Amino acid sequence: MRPLDEAETTAVFEKLYKFTGNNLKNIVENPSHEGPDPNPGRYCFRLHKNKVYYVSESLVKRATNIARANLVSLGVCIGKFTHSSKFHLTIQALSLVSANARHKVWLKPTSEMSFLYGNHVLKGGLGRITDTIAPGDGVVVFSMSDVPLGFGVAAKSTQDCRKLDPNGIVVLHQADIGEYLRMEDEL
Amino acid sequence: MGKKQKVILPPDLPPEISDDEIEVSDEDLQFVKENRDYAGFVSRLDTQSITKHVTRVADVNEDALEAIYEKRLKKKSALQKEDEEKNKVHVDPVDALPVKTLDGKLYYRTVAKTSKGEDENEAGEDEKDGDVDKSLVKLTKAEKRAKVKKSRKEAKKLGKEVDQPEEAEQAPQAAVLAKVKEDLTAEEAFESKKCKLAELGIALLSNPEANITSMKEILQIAKDDNPSISKLGLLSLLAVFKDIIPGYRIRLPTEKEQEMKVSKEVKKMRFYESTLLSAYKAYLQRLLAAEKKPLFQQVVVRCICNLLDAVPHFNCRESLLEVVVRNLGSADDVVRKLCCSTVRSLFTNEGKHGGEATVEAVRLIAAHVKANNCQLHPDFIEVLMSLTFDEDLRKPKATPEVDKKVKYKKFYKRKIPEEPSQQQENKRKMSKKELMSKTREEVAADYKAVSFAPDVEEKRRMQSETLSAVFETYFRVLKQTMLSIAASSETFTGSNTSASDPHPLLAPCLNGLGKFSHLIDLDYIGDLMNYLKKIAGGGSSYYSSSQKHVEHLTVSERLRCCIVAFKVMRNNLDALNVDLQDFFVQLYNLILEYRPGRDQGEVLVEALKIMLCDDRQHDMQKAAAFVKRLATFSLSICSAEAMAALVTLKNLLMRNVKCRNLLENDAGGGSVSGSISIYHPYATDPNLSGALASVLWELNLLSKHYHPSISTMITSISGMNTANNQVYHAILSPQQAFTDLSLERETFQPKSDIRKLNSKRKRGSASSTLSGIESTSDTSIDENEVSKKLAKHFIILRDIKENERLRGELDRTTLSLQLYEKYKKQKKAGEPKTKRKRAKIVD
Repeated sequence: MRPLDEAETTAVFEKLYKFTGNNLKNIVENPSHEGPDPNPGRYCFRLHKNKVYYVSESLVKRATNIARANLVSLGVCIGKFTHSSKFHLTIQALSLVSANARHKVWLKPTSEMSFLYGNHVLKGGLGRITDTIAPGDGVVVFSMSDVPLGFGVAAKSTQDCRKLDPNGIVVLHQADIGEYLRMEDEL
Repeated sequence: MGKKQKVILPPDLPPEISDDEIEVSDEDLQFVKENRDYAGFVSRLDTQSITKHVTRVADVNEDALEAIYEKRLKKKSALQKEDEEKNKVHVDPVDALPVKTLDGKLYYRTVAKTSKGEDENEAGEDEKDGDVDKSLVKLTKAEKRAKVKKSRKEAKKLGKEVDQPEEAEQAPQAAVLAKVKEDLTAEEAFESKKCKLAELGIALLSNPEANITSMKEILQIAKDDNPSISKLGLLSLLAVFKDIIPGYRIRLPTEKEQEMKVSKEVKKMRFYESTLLSAYKAYLQRLLAAEKKPLFQQVVVRCICNLLDAVPHFNCRESLLEVVVRNLGSADDVVRKLCCSTVRSLFTNEGKHGGEATVEAVRLIAAHVKANNCQLHPDFIEVLMSLTFDEDLRKPKATPEVDKKVKYKKFYKRKIPEEPSQQQENKRKMSKKELMSKTREEVAADYKAVSFAPDVEEKRRMQSETLSAVFETYFRVLKQTMLSIAASSETFTGSNTSASDPHPLLAPCLNGLGKFSHLIDLDYIGDLMNYLKKIAGGGSSYYSSSQKHVEHLTVSERLRCCIVAFKVMRNNLDALNVDLQDFFVQLYNLILEYRPGRDQGEVLVEALKIMLCDDRQHDMQKAAAFVKRLATFSLSICSAEAMAALVTLKNLLMRNVKCRNLLENDAGGGSVSGSISIYHPYATDPNLSGALASVLWELNLLSKHYHPSISTMITSISGMNTANNQVYHAILSPQQAFTDLSLERETFQPKSDIRKLNSKRKRGSASSTLSGIESTSDTSIDENEVSKKLAKHFIILRDIKENERLRGELDRTTLSLQLYEKYKKQKKAGEPKTKRKRAKIVD
């Protein structure tokens, strides 16, 4: 377990920034009330076995007691670095991202299941979409009753979505909560 | 002494005894005779005055009594005057001050008298005044002068010989006389010209073709030097033209046509038309020339507006339109109103000119806006609101036509390949069909040529041109506003606050965009939304942290931007449901900036209605944030706005069941509150405010609102609860509520019994309200206590206000002191002498 180095930090923040925009500072400055300390600490990012964790400082202190080999996980795992040292968000980051999301897409109830099986979001399944989405932005996918389902990357801007035919892809799938079942072993 | 008999009043009179009856004893007689001196007083006794004294008015009541006294006084004064006249006592003019007698009359002693005397003298003799004057030695100068004048006048009247000094004065009089004569002649001329105008006009109207030449005469009169005459001429020409201008556009015959032989009637007609046209052109030139003169401006503009209104199809419309559009932004209210109404009627009555004038006018307006860099009167754009676009023309008619064409094509296409195979068999039939269709086409073409029904294609083209000009104008205004915002936020000069509205066209422009939002091309919408977003942010989105930020646009303007954005979105995007997050953020923040006096409540309420009530889905966090903010907002504003906010709040609560957690009494919100565990009242983003973690304590305060309808509203809101999922129906829109209460505001006066009513109502609904405290306090409530509490509350409020004021003063003084200190330091370096002096002053 170690703090991120310069390159890793920029990679992580760039990825998060795509989803949250200026709300990124809420993630960084979020005070944590964990542990017995009277004054609230902050959350920080830690790298452990190629995975990035979002951990409160008090927990980090306590985790130092455990040998690196024995430490399985701490805090919330938000993503991992691939072998080519690219950063990928995993589905566990959904709670963090959805609370601060800038671009959102709501799915019609009929197309929820399709998304949860790992498919892209098509225009026909779109219940609602925020304005000002540009292609390449990170988008959080919600159900109509505001339950976060996953996230992905926008394939089209909001303007273009209008002219799209119903089978066109609006959001490219990255992660969904179905993965908790489908890829239970990997997570 | 006969009067004495009647008198009964005191002093008591001796019993009535006739003189004869009185017995005078001899001794008495003797005594009198002996001492005549003693008895002298008897003979000198003023019997009259005695009787007067004693005649105390037996049967005269008090009013009459006064009158009698007055009469007596008058008599006395008259007597005095007579005396004076007799004596001819001339008082020196210096002490000739008037005397005010007891009855309030002023008497000018000598002057009055002498003049009176002289008047009498004058009446008697006319030419011998001089002699009389001489005889009256003590005449004052003024009187002399008056006399001389009088004599002169008389002399003049009599037409007698005039001596030297009089002649000198005769000259100006002659001039005056001449002038009078001139005036008279001018007036006569005026009258005669007026009559002539009327005659010519009537002649023209009765038979325009015969009397068309008299048009020139009127034109001549209209060129008169006298402004009123020429005005009259212009106006009468207007009346004439309005009446005789034909319902078509005159086209002068070409040379070729003129060479052709034509019948007499046609020739006559041609002559008439050409004269009319040339006269009309001359008239227009005259009008255009006169329009520059301020004296004529109103009349000319009225003429032009009337002409344009009445005959928009006729020749030379362009110059008329140009003047009218130019005067749309005139500083003169009358002129502007006239032009506006003309342009409006031009837009609404397109049948008169077939829409061409509309296109031209809109183009001219666009050009003007461009030329003046959007610094024009708002009326300029306001008139565009009255444009109407025929949507039936745009869509349904267009499609069937296209369909028809397509069908025809298909028909033919289908036929053509069929033909060779079936040619032989159906030749007869085909030829018959072809013949039929050919004749049909011919007939249709003829019909089109004959009937003046406007061509659909043509009309559509014109409409699209108009629309593009309109939107060009609107977008130009928006862009200009945005540029100015960007410029001012770049320079960021804190001093030049926008006291005067720097974007006069923005408000009407936004209104127009809202109205025509359904006609905007989809391709433009992206850019439009971007612009609107930036304007709604007022350039402030990047400076939200800096408190010194200058508001470039008013709250109403920014709210309007939000409204327009929503209208545009709703009208265009039935298929796609777009969530306008940024505009919600703007609204969320603008609610706090709203000031009841400064900003327009209607706009706010409209924004609430369109953005919060009409939108179907909201995410929970946002809805909760708005619920919380609206409740806070309604605590601090007038009843009408509060009512509108509460209606919106209720609407939100009804549709978002989970938000009803706010009504529960435990803070924290439980599981629904999401990741943000504390309510941040100052958060700018509704999604991050964590409103679900809070409690709507504002409702409890509002339920004691002085306005009964608000407190009933509150009880109905707090009656909703999370448990039962019943469907509530919206009763009224926030706009309705707002207008109701703002109308009522003028008449509404909080009465004392309202409080009682409230408490009763509260007691009634106490079971449904949440707080137990309230119900216990309600039972023991009485009026005295309430008034005491209110008094206490208001005292505290006043103290707070006073405190604030004092603090502000303190701040100001410290600031000025600091400034002064700075100034002193600066000065210190330069002039040590003055510093010392100033230090003294400070001490």
